[in-house]
This record gives sequence, C-alpha cells and structure tokens, in this order.
Amino acid sequence: MKPCAVTGFGVACPFGVGRAAFLDAARAGGSATPRSAQASQRATLQSFDASAYPGARVVEVPGFDPAKYLGDKGLRSLDRLTKLLVVAARLALHDSGLKRDGAWADGAAETSGIVVSNAYGSLEAITELDRVSLLEDARYINPSRFPLTVANSAAGYASIWEELRAVNVSVSDGNCGSLDAAACAEVLLDQGRARALLVGGAEAMSEALFLAFHKLGASEGGALLGEGAALLVLETPDSARARGASVAGEIVGYGTSFVPPEREAALVHPSPEAMARAIESALSDADVPAGAIGAVVSGVSGLRAFDEAELSAIGRVLGPEIPVVAPKLALGETLGAGGAMGMLSALALMQGAAQFPHARGPAAAPPRDTPRSVLVTSLGYYGNASAVVMRSPNTGR
Amino acid sequence: MGSSARGLPRGGPCVGAFRGEGRFAPTRRCSLVQPRATTATVLPRVFVTGVGVVSSIGLGREAFYRSLESGRSGISPVASFDASQLGRDFAGEVKEFDARDHLTNAERRRMGRCSSMAVAAARMALRDAGLQERQLAGRRTAVVLGTTMGEATILGELEHDWIVGGVGAVRRSLIPKYGSTLLPIHVARAVGAEGMVLTLPAACAAGNYAIGFASDLIRGGRADVVVTGAAELIQELQFSGFVRLAAMAPQKCQPFDLNRQGLILGEGAGLLVLESEAHAVRRGAQVRAEVGGYGLSCDAYHITRPHPDAAGSIAAMRAAIERSAISPADVDFINAHGTGTKHNDAAETKVVHELFGDRRVPISSMKSMLGHCMGAASALEAIGCVFTLETGTYPPTIGYETPDPECDVHVVANAAQRGKADVVVNNSLAFGGYNAVAVFARPGVLPPAGAP
Repeated sequence: MKPCAVTGFGVACPFGVGRAAFLDAARAGGSATPRSAQASQRATLQSFDASAYPGARVVEVPGFDPAKYLGDKGLRSLDRLTKLLVVAARLALHDSGLKRDGAWADGAAETSGIVVSNAYGSLEAITELDRVSLLEDARYINPSRFPLTVANSAAGYASIWEELRAVNVSVSDGNCGSLDAAACAEVLLDQGRARALLVGGAEAMSEALFLAFHKLGASEGGALLGEGAALLVLETPDSARARGASVAGEIVGYGTSFVPPEREAALVHPSPEAMARAIESALSDADVPAGAIGAVVSGVSGLRAFDEAELSAIGRVLGPEIPVVAPKLALGETLGAGGAMGMLSALALMQGAAQFPHARGPAAAPPRDTPRSVLVTSLGYYGNASAVVMRSPNTGR
Repeated sequence: MGSSARGLPRGGPCVGAFRGEGRFAPTRRCSLVQPRATTATVLPRVFVTGVGVVSSIGLGREAFYRSLESGRSGISPVASFDASQLGRDFAGEVKEFDARDHLTNAERRRMGRCSSMAVAAARMALRDAGLQERQLAGRRTAVVLGTTMGEATILGELEHDWIVGGVGAVRRSLIPKYGSTLLPIHVARAVGAEGMVLTLPAACAAGNYAIGFASDLIRGGRADVVVTGAAELIQELQFSGFVRLAAMAPQKCQPFDLNRQGLILGEGAGLLVLESEAHAVRRGAQVRAEVGGYGLSCDAYHITRPHPDAAGSIAAMRAAIERSAISPADVDFINAHGTGTKHNDAAETKVVHELFGDRRVPISSMKSMLGHCMGAASALEAIGCVFTLETGTYPPTIGYETPDPECDVHVVANAAQRGKADVVVNNSLAFGGYNAVAVFARPGVLPPAGAP
C-alpha cells in the first residue's frame, strides 16, 4: 500500500474521551480495568443494569456526556453508538486541524469522508423497537428511531453532524473491521475519492451485546467487554505536508487472510494460520523485514483459544522475543472498534512511555525501547485475520 | 486490449477518449480531489464473467433474464410472517428458494437464510463463469459483499427468545450465526477463497459499494478474482419500520408514476464473479460485461430523505462517468434507483436532467418487479445492467400508468425495449445520504483505465 499519514485522532473509550485522556491513561498503564470492576459491582453502568449478571466484566466510556462535545440540541434522537462515533469524529477533525472551532479550515467538507467499522449495529435501537413490537404492538414502534436500526446509520449521522460530503463507507468484519477500514481508506485516498478520511470503528455497550458475550462464556473465561469509538485522520503524506499538518505516524502495510476450519460442522474457530498469513502479507506490503518490528499491539482479550492462536502466529513470524501488548485487557473487547483502539495504542507506543498490559502475562518483557515500527493484529472469530504495520513519522527505511 | 479474451465481442471505439474529457479532467461541480499522480500505467480491466441470482422473479441467470425481458412481477402477499395487522402486506418475497437444493446439510446448519441465499447465488455465479468449485481456492480470491442487516431473522429470533422468554431462553447456538460479517465468510468457505473477506453495510447502495470496492481490489492488484454482490432478506421489524415511516405502497411499486405510493420491500441475493482481464484471458473465460468506474458521495443532509437539490447524487453520477473516461453522451441506459417514493424519484429525475440535459436517456426501475431489495437492490440491478449489455434489452418499469411532470424522464414503460447498449449506468441513492453509481459496459468499449 501507499503510506497513509495519521494527522490526528479522536477517541471515546474506557480510558476517557479525547487525545489527552487516552495518552495519559496509556502512560499510567491503562487505568480502565479497576474502574470497570467497581462500576459493574455497583451496577452503575450507563447503558444497562448489570446487577442481574453477577460476575459481569464490562467497561464503559466513563461518565460519557456527549452534550459536552456536541451541545444539547438533537441528541435525543440518537443512540449511544451514534453519539460515541460523532464525538470521536468531531474530536478527530479538530485534533488534525481540519476543523477549528467547529468550522472547516478551508471548505474541506467536500473532500473529507469517513470509513468506519462496526460489528453488530445498534443493538440498543433494535432491542428498543423489538420490545415495543413484541410486548405491545408493531404498529406503535417509533418511526423516528427506526433509522437507527440500519447498520450504516451511525456513519450516516456522523456525516450529517460533521458535514463529511466525500465518501461514507461502513465496514463490517467483526473485530478485524477497523484494520480493514484502514485498507479501504488507502484505496479511496489513492483514487482521489477524498483528501482526508476519518478511519476507525465504533461499538456501543448494550444489554443485548453483553448478553451474547456472556452467554458464549466470555466473561467466565475472563474477557472484558468494552465499548467506544476511535477514529484516525488519514491523509496522503503529500496532502498532510501541503497543509502543514503534524504527522503522528503512518500506516504503511496491510494484510488479511481467511482460513476455513477443517471440521465441516465448525463455524467459530481461531486460525493461527490465517493470523500468520495476514502478518506476513502486511510485512511484505509494508516492505519491512520482521526484524524491523519493535512491538506488536495484539487483539489478545482473555478468550483463551483465540489468544493462544494469535500469540502463536505472532511468535511464528516475529520470533518468541518480540514484545506483545494487549490493550484489550484494559480497554475491553471493543469488536468493530478494536483495531482502531489498537492503532491508537501503537501511536502511543511510538511516542514512548506508554504501558499496556502484556499479552503473555505480567512477567513478559516490556517493549525494550520506544518502537519505531509497530504491528497491529486482529484475529476474527470465524477464521479471518487482519494486520497493519505502522511506523513513526520520518522513519527512514 | 479487451478484445483478446475468447468470446469477447470486438472492442468498439474508445468512446470519449479523445474529447479532452479524460478520466481525471477537472470537473464542473464535483469538487472531489483528483487521484494521486503516479506513473502512466494502464490498470487491469475488470470483467464480469459470471452472475448468480436468488430473486422473487427467478433463480439463476437464465430465469432472471427471462423475467426481466417479460416484465414479471415478484410482488405478492407476505407469507413469511403475519403482516395482516400492519396496514401493508405485500412484498417481493423469494418464495421458490429452498436452501436444500443448493447447500449441504452442514452448511444449512451453520448459517441463516441470508447467507444461504448468498452462498446459493455464489455457486450459481461460479457455474455461470465456468468455474469449478475450489478452482478459485487461494489467497488471490477475495469476497466482498454488501447487505443492510445480514442475518436479520437470526437476530429477530434471539430477540424474541430474550424479550418474551427471558435470559434463560436465549439459544446459545444461534448467537454466532448473527452478524453481517458472516455473509462473506460463508461464501469464502463455499468457493475456497482465502483472501480478503469483507462486508460493506451501505444500506440500499451496498451492492454498488461492494462491486466498486471489489473492482478496486482487482485494479490495484490485490486480487485476481473477487466474488461480490449483496444479499438481503425481509424481516418483520424492518417491514414494520418501513410501514411506520409511511414509505410503503399498498400493493405495487410504481417508480416515476404520478400516483406512486411508495416502495415495496423485496429480498434476494445477486452475486457476480469479477476477474482481472489477465485471469479471464488465461482461462478462456466468457466475458459478460466490463466494470467501469464508480462514484461515491454523501449528502450529509438527512438520514432518510435525499437532499432536495440532489448535489450529492449528481456528484456521484458524474464521478462514475468521468472515472470511466467517457462523457454523459456515451451513456445508453440508466438502471434507476427508482424506489417509487415521492422524494426519491423526483430527486433522481433532477440528477438525470443535470447530467444529460435535454437528451432523454432511457431509464427504468427494476424495483417495479422486485420491490426494493435494500442492500441487495443495486447488486441485482447490476446484474440487470449485465442483462442489458448482453441482450441489448432495457428491462421495463412495470405498472407505469400516468406520467408525472416532476419525473419527466424517458421511462421504459411496461414492456422491455431493444436499444443500443454499450454503456449503462447503475444508480443507487441510499438511506443515510449514501450515493453510489457504477458504470458497466460492453467489454472493450471503455477506454483503458490508467493513472495519468
């Protein structure tokens, strides 16, 4: 792929909202987990009453207050997913300097777009309408809430709120989606379909999402379910330079693979083979040798079979000594947003002093030096896997 | 270059190539930036070599083509759930599809109906392309599909379990079968693809999004073959939602008609095998059509209504034509978005007038026959475009009775028409302000695609 410059980001995640909240928490070693444990014990989640689920391991965006960023007007018609995404979009546009005080810097609305991954849509809105339909009468469902049930609704609203008139692309590939969004964005930028793209993912906490996670035994296994939205501003290095934007890092390689399970009846399966192939093709796409990678931001989340498959593939391609961090152990599994949270974690690592949980346990070696090239990996639930290579700005080859 | 593949019609003249309107020429209203200048390489052409259809007007290419030619309606009373109390009870349900005819027992056990339709259509498309199963096995084959909601009926069942029966009633085994992510996973497994698997949930423009991105993967050298298209099914909640939005017509969908009363929901799957020219030539494939350029834009205006001045739709359509290195004068036929709602058809008319001026390009909406198949709509309509290119026939807009001065376009009314069919345009102007317009052409007609 041709390098894409990261010129800013916006995030709403269990570390908090905004660049400073994310980077501060990363430097402090990720402070979301203790807060979440307290939150779920006290059953004071914003999105649902967790007291019915003893042992629930859930973490939300703490005290999420969208009005602080978006004003009060028009929020009532939106669901949590949309609010998380729009807040991240607004922050990202300001962080990159494309917008100042709510206004586009130079009429860039026509050349700016969004590519956003989401795995399960707005289960909050779907459940709300299903409750009315099943417990009362389908004729009473609220038509103004219906559009929220459509999978690309949040991205559509982000365009409306932030006036993004170039491309608007929604991507769905489970927890690999955010990394795939980066690959889509590179194609779209290369073709001149936009000059700047907000790229990442969003997933909102809801009782339905938690219930699915819980029923599948994820919380018993120790996995934490998270939520949030993370968007990186991607531009071609030329256009970043042309407008004098500061570049936090670059995305320089992408790889993906699908390997079906051997057993005909199987559906869910962790594939180390797919992960290894995705990593190899990302390295070759970036034209960097395995030895140049300083650290890996993995998708390790506490689901044992998946964690083992991912770690074995990473070890196979990059060697057993490579430092591997697991931000999801602090941020929770954020599914469609997971890869974007991973890319932000990679930026934090490349800035130095970030401390994320270690994927191979607390005793594993931390990243030795500030890494200049970082691999971000995601292993899907169905035999799919994706990987992205990021590097510090101005890193010579 | 296109005429070297076996079975290809002779390449026509490079329409529009020497008119100073090359694909990267500055545009009048579309202010999208120009592609990154690189070397002057010619990009590989992208061919449609097979299509597969699961629809309310026929299974498979031949049945589908016959129905498009004869103007058959697939709209009938809803049978999959009780719609009697909703005030609307007609839809384009796929009633003759039986997953047992197309899928193994194990496949049927592990997937929902939406994926079943997608897998069945993929198998048909492969056969249509003259490919054996497993012949595409490997990392150079990708699967990129569109949908709006994917396995909506699985989610409906899970929600029913939970809301009516409580947490304990939720069937654990159903949970992993939900998610729009699954469609390309199931298809990849069926065809042996090991490259990218991706879903683009772009609402009613999803088919064009998927086909467009699939063509990008091939042009960019990331894949040799992409199995693409879209699938969607009608589910009770969406049906009720469209009724509550007052968007649904009682019994028929009448695009561009003065008395049109709204849309009718439909469902189905339309899948296409796209191949690079080199891959198609190497195996001596029969080429059905070429995928030209496509245009995307976002209205950024309203979540369900099109922008009244249609600027976004105009930009998308203009970009599709320019990126095909042709001019509007080269377009022979428009496969309309044509939902049959007041807003859409009037806005789409504005787009056509803006692009084509006084020239009355024939236009038709397959939604009059199929209903609005949401995510699958533009994929089925893309196959309709292939039909037009292969047969020189414009499918009819059935049920067209009274012209609407607000929709002053040349509607192919009630009966199919024969006509020039070198270049056709597939419009989709979707929910969320998503506009995606794609150009399809007779192989060899379009100028070669290249970076400047």
